Amino acid sequence: MNELDAVAECLRSGWLTMGPRTQAFEQALAEFTGAPHAIAVSSGTAALQLACVALRLGPGDEVIVPAFTFSATAHAVRFAGATPVLCDVVSAQAPHIDPADVERRITPRTRAVIAVHVFGHPADLTPLRALCDAHGLALIEDAAQAFGAAVGTRGTLGCFSFGAGKQLSLGAGGLVTTADDELAARVRLLRSHAMTSGTWDRHRGHASSYDVVDIGFNFRLDEPRAALGLAKLPNVPQEVERRRAAARAARDALTDGTPMFSLDGASPAVAGVLYDTPREGRRYPALHELPAFADLAAPGSLPRAEDAARRHLALDVF
Amino acid sequence: MIPLFDLRLEEPDIEAVLDVLRSGELAMGARVAEFEAAFAAHLGARHAIALSSCTAALHLAYLAAGVGPGDEVIVPAMTFAATAAAVVYCGATPVFAEITGPHELALDPADVERRITERTKAVCTVHFAGYPATPLRELCDAHGLALIEDSAHAPLTGVSGLAAAYSFFSNKVLACGEGGLLATDDDAVAERVRELRGQYGYKLDEPRAALLLARLPRIHEDVARRRELTRAYRARLEGVTVPYDDAAVERSSCYVMPVLVEPERRDALREHLRERGVQTSILYPAIHEFTAYRERFGTPSLPRTEHVARAEITLPLFPHMTEAQLDQVVEGLR
Repeated sequence: MNELDAVAECLRSGWLTMGPRTQAFEQALAEFTGAPHAIAVSSGTAALQLACVALRLGPGDEVIVPAFTFSATAHAVRFAGATPVLCDVVSAQAPHIDPADVERRITPRTRAVIAVHVFGHPADLTPLRALCDAHGLALIEDAAQAFGAAVGTRGTLGCFSFGAGKQLSLGAGGLVTTADDELAARVRLLRSHAMTSGTWDRHRGHASSYDVVDIGFNFRLDEPRAALGLAKLPNVPQEVERRRAAARAARDALTDGTPMFSLDGASPAVAGVLYDTPREGRRYPALHELPAFADLAAPGSLPRAEDAARRHLALDVF
Repeated sequence: MIPLFDLRLEEPDIEAVLDVLRSGELAMGARVAEFEAAFAAHLGARHAIALSSCTAALHLAYLAAGVGPGDEVIVPAMTFAATAAAVVYCGATPVFAEITGPHELALDPADVERRITERTKAVCTVHFAGYPATPLRELCDAHGLALIEDSAHAPLTGVSGLAAAYSFFSNKVLACGEGGLLATDDDAVAERVRELRGQYGYKLDEPRAALLLARLPRIHEDVARRRELTRAYRARLEGVTVPYDDAAVERSSCYVMPVLVEPERRDALREHLRERGVQTSILYPAIHEFTAYRERFGTPSLPRTEHVARAEITLPLFPHMTEAQLDQVVEGLR
């Protein structure tokens, strides 16, 4: 169904929260991503927050996070009450979390590692998975910029964003994927105030009251956005192809020898460009360059992340 | 089946959403800004900040009030879990206080006062079912406490404390699906909430703002109809306790229609109503009796709250409900 018709039909139905469209969207997302469980949520930030809380990360726990990422990655760790530990990236040209540096930062308090698929380019999870398995750590994939790439199924949990400008944009929205039945149940529970039954169950007469079994949140996606997502989802592969073409064109047009990220197998949300001198445009500072995270690392201590932050420019592709 | 609530959107409401989708600008913020200005004017508040939910609004209200680890926030237990959960998000402890009684389901100021300690940072009052709660501003001011209002049920009630949290959840008087808003007259609170909104992923998007903007002008008409139905219920119901009085109805947004029955008859009555095609609910099971709260905070004794939690039945109420439907509900309760 065309996306306008799908949303109009949903609005005319008068049922706007946690109903059949969200269920259908989640089923389609599970098929699309290849994840056994797909849980639609209110935002990419909410997906990361739920992942951290579902893993029962809390005070005293450490989570290793690359210093070159959007701030939500580290904020989500703090949301759960845990402490982000910043690590370096491989290089400015491949600004993904560096497994060797992750290993150096593992302590007895480390509980999880978050790998970020920066700009939509998949991080290499093979060494990270091995490292996490060897140390009994959870691996969270921050795939907020990478919907449409083959990601989100190798970590313990995958977190996607359907925010503005994303490959699948619903205005605001997100997704948690996992193969773990127990974690999936926990994410679902925490998404809606840890209530043992929801409005939809009660509407259909399946439950008359409820208990609240944990401190949960309102991180639900509503039905109009689920209807929109369901209608737009089949177009995502094409959308990703368009972005790849735009990124290739940007690479070709930039003839000053600027090194750029590899596009192999990737679905870039934006094309990352490196310059030798900083230029105007959308740029992500390294996390410890932000006041909120300045206490986590000294300037100069994460040189490759700092180099990437100084030299990159994020160009929109669509 | 007569449903508990039945949201009906008009074609112009739907068209407003489709216009946004056609524009492709789902999060640029023009309609969010327009809705915020319209809702601030509607409330007579200085600032209105649109958010992803009322839970988000409560969370940011507590944070803006400076609530943090070690602090206590006094809240009713006769409310939705979010009122207390958002206190826990801040690392603080919810302290449950009593409601006034079966005719007034909001916080009892005398009980609030008894529960104030040196750790109390704020009080959150709930305008239950849209009936403005007994004012607590003077008490809070006297003790140097922030007053937060959970106005999820009360979109006509303006701000009398530091901040008020509104809900646009699908069963509410003004609904868009998932949505909320924080209103305040305090410039510093507004600035802080706007900063934190992005950090927590609490933004409202353009389609939902467009829907709310389209529906806001009809809110008084909808509430007038809700009051009319509430008056009809009050006149016709027999053998049950109906909270509040006729005068209070005229100040209420009449979000839901609560009645109280003998606790031992409650489940059978609900089942009887269900068999007769009437959907009902319970607003609310008491928060302090939920597993999550008993485990963390013990079980204070709140007999008035517990009585209501066991005696309450919420009856269907929505603007296009007919007199015949209302009679069917009343008949089912006899």
